[in-house]
Amino acid sequence: MAESGGAEALENVPVYEYIDVNSKPFHIGSFRKLWLDALKPDYYSYTETPQEIQDIEFIEEMRIDEETLDELKTICSVERLRCHSENNPPDTDEIPAEPKLATLKLRKRRQDYKKTLLRDHVGRHDAYANEMEVLAVGRKPKDPQDLVPEGELILTFNVLYPVIFERFKYVRPHQTHHVLGSQKLTDLRDAICCVNDLQVFGEFSETPNMVPQFISKDHYKSAFFFFEGTFFNDMRFPECRDISETTREWAKTYDFPEFHTARMEDTVFYDLKVKVGYPYLYCHQGDCEHIVILTDVRLAHRDDCLDSKHYPLLTHKHRVVTRKCSVCHLYISRWVTTNDALAPMNPCLFCDQCFRMFHYDKDGNKLGDFKAYSYVDPGAFN
Amino acid sequence: MDHFKRPLKTDIEEILSRFQDTASVRFEEFLTIWRGMNFPIIFNGKLEPYEKSTFSRLVFTTAAPYFFPPYTFQIRVGGLYLLYGLYHSQLATPKEKIWLALSDWEHVKRFQQDAADAQHYDVVYVLRKLLAEKAFYFTAMPKPLYFRVRRKQEESEQKMCEEFIDRPSRPQELISAEMLEELANVHEHYERLKMGISAASGQSSSDLALIRQNLAPRLRNAMLSFHSWQKNHMENENCNTAVERSTSERNSKVEESSRRAQLLASIKSKSYGQLVEASKSRRHRQAEMVTATSDAESTHRTSGFKRRALSLKERTKTRLMAQGNVKEEVLKMTRLWRLSAVEDERTEEKKKRKFAWKVESEA
Repeated sequence: MAESGGAEALENVPVYEYIDVNSKPFHIGSFRKLWLDALKPDYYSYTETPQEIQDIEFIEEMRIDEETLDELKTICSVERLRCHSENNPPDTDEIPAEPKLATLKLRKRRQDYKKTLLRDHVGRHDAYANEMEVLAVGRKPKDPQDLVPEGELILTFNVLYPVIFERFKYVRPHQTHHVLGSQKLTDLRDAICCVNDLQVFGEFSETPNMVPQFISKDHYKSAFFFFEGTFFNDMRFPECRDISETTREWAKTYDFPEFHTARMEDTVFYDLKVKVGYPYLYCHQGDCEHIVILTDVRLAHRDDCLDSKHYPLLTHKHRVVTRKCSVCHLYISRWVTTNDALAPMNPCLFCDQCFRMFHYDKDGNKLGDFKAYSYVDPGAFN
Repeated sequence: MDHFKRPLKTDIEEILSRFQDTASVRFEEFLTIWRGMNFPIIFNGKLEPYEKSTFSRLVFTTAAPYFFPPYTFQIRVGGLYLLYGLYHSQLATPKEKIWLALSDWEHVKRFQQDAADAQHYDVVYVLRKLLAEKAFYFTAMPKPLYFRVRRKQEESEQKMCEEFIDRPSRPQELISAEMLEELANVHEHYERLKMGISAASGQSSSDLALIRQNLAPRLRNAMLSFHSWQKNHMENENCNTAVERSTSERNSKVEESSRRAQLLASIKSKSYGQLVEASKSRRHRQAEMVTATSDAESTHRTSGFKRRALSLKERTKTRLMAQGNVKEEVLKMTRLWRLSAVEDERTEEKKKRKFAWKVESEA
């Protein structure tokens, strides 16, 4: 029994399958248990152990006297790492003229180059890259009940945007979510925002004021995650269907290993057995497919957002270029028209105001022959 | 940020090799080197806040491996001190943490035990301090993984600094003095038994000479020669590398590329050379043998550098110009943001100069 336990434990210590690419599959819950067994509770607790207790422990374990410890403290103090006198800290923006470190040489060259540019601007993506991450740092809950328990796992998921064009090979537009190990898969599913959930179907050129408020998220509630040979279906609502069935039926005829199914709402992240860094799938609206990558699993840290109400926590999203109205080039499009004799191209995008002014007379009668659909810009989540 | 990986690695290896030269594990020694190199300014420079944190992260992922095997104990101590120093001198707020994988935790524990046993209190103290300050993330893998599959792994990334690695000592461990003695005893016993048998049956003992006579001393000699070879090898390499680095590197590069070209050519000629035996019914349309030599040669020339294909826009433009039914002026279309520009003042756009991340001398 002990032997099999040991083997099982080894199995759940994540190791590389391909170096620097992804790990072998492991069970998240057992992984957490292994860490908690290996660590002393004060290593992962949010409070710092008082200095005196630390000192006493150290003295006892090392069998040294207090003088030696004091000596150690002065030798290894953080202050001694500084390379400048205490009173005049150097400007951290400055790089010395003749840097010796290779890193600084490169950075200096880069900065000198940037100075030669007429316009040196930081890309919008870069400027706000960690905006949301910083927002969440060290956030404490108002109600102590909501505190993330010590030793909880935080999983980081990158959810990629559905279509990745060739030109986006190097930038992978994605959103990053942090979830707690004790949360359900459905929590992550609800947190993922995708434009395709917001679409409204139908042609409304006759009645532009009557656009219904139902979006496809309310109509088509089925979705699934695919992790390690198992389809996790969202079956919370009566109208949900197992949309993975087609795939599984197809796979049966093609000599694939058998796929399993499970319910998304019954599965907690601790129950999963997955690879870190390996692409999995989230599919909703029938065929809107997102690649999902589990990039990191770790124990909750003191500096993390500790309010469990904020999880799943969105820490990064890609900002998409919005498509502007083709009349004013100012506002984000709300309408798309086809077969429009008035429009310069087919299909053509309009903002709400321009669309109405252009296509309807004062009394709201339709001018000309065209078809109008409501349009949701991919930048809606920016 | 990835461009900084290589210079960072050189810097880290520089400070660690200096630490190695001191042949000490004292924090004092490390501090003098740290101060001498003015290492904390590695974080200096005009960086955006997000750049600071990503750079810190990169620093830790590059420096952390030196804290784990297969590096020698001394290098690992140096790695630990380095992490300690870097963690406290980073400029990112909040401080970025060091990723510590579960599989590495065993090493950390054993390392702490070893250091405590050898009474290197400063080592244990620094490690304890980092742990108490919660400088570590306890993670699954040593860094976040994004499934970045690259076609070719960069060699310099994977290469470990050989001087930092323990010499393989498995043979020495295996063949200890006690083991040799034991072996000698067993051997003696075996010989005696054999003698007994051969004396009883009256056969010559040469039939049973299945094993070398002086097994134990031979083994010991082999061991010693291995040891001295290892030593010589290390010394040779050390002095050779300095001399050779300048000359051989260039040569080897040239050689390598030509070797690669040859290999490619041979593969090609092979694949073209092997004609599939066609069945009788198809004999009449049997393929002709095409020699690949000329073909391969042409690919050599281009394979050295990648030529990017023209963009669709460029291609269309050249085609239209070639047909001659489009005039130059038409192509200079009005642009939305230039509607108000005066006709004559239209200046040519300056060509952008791109930043060269790699300098030729470095690459």
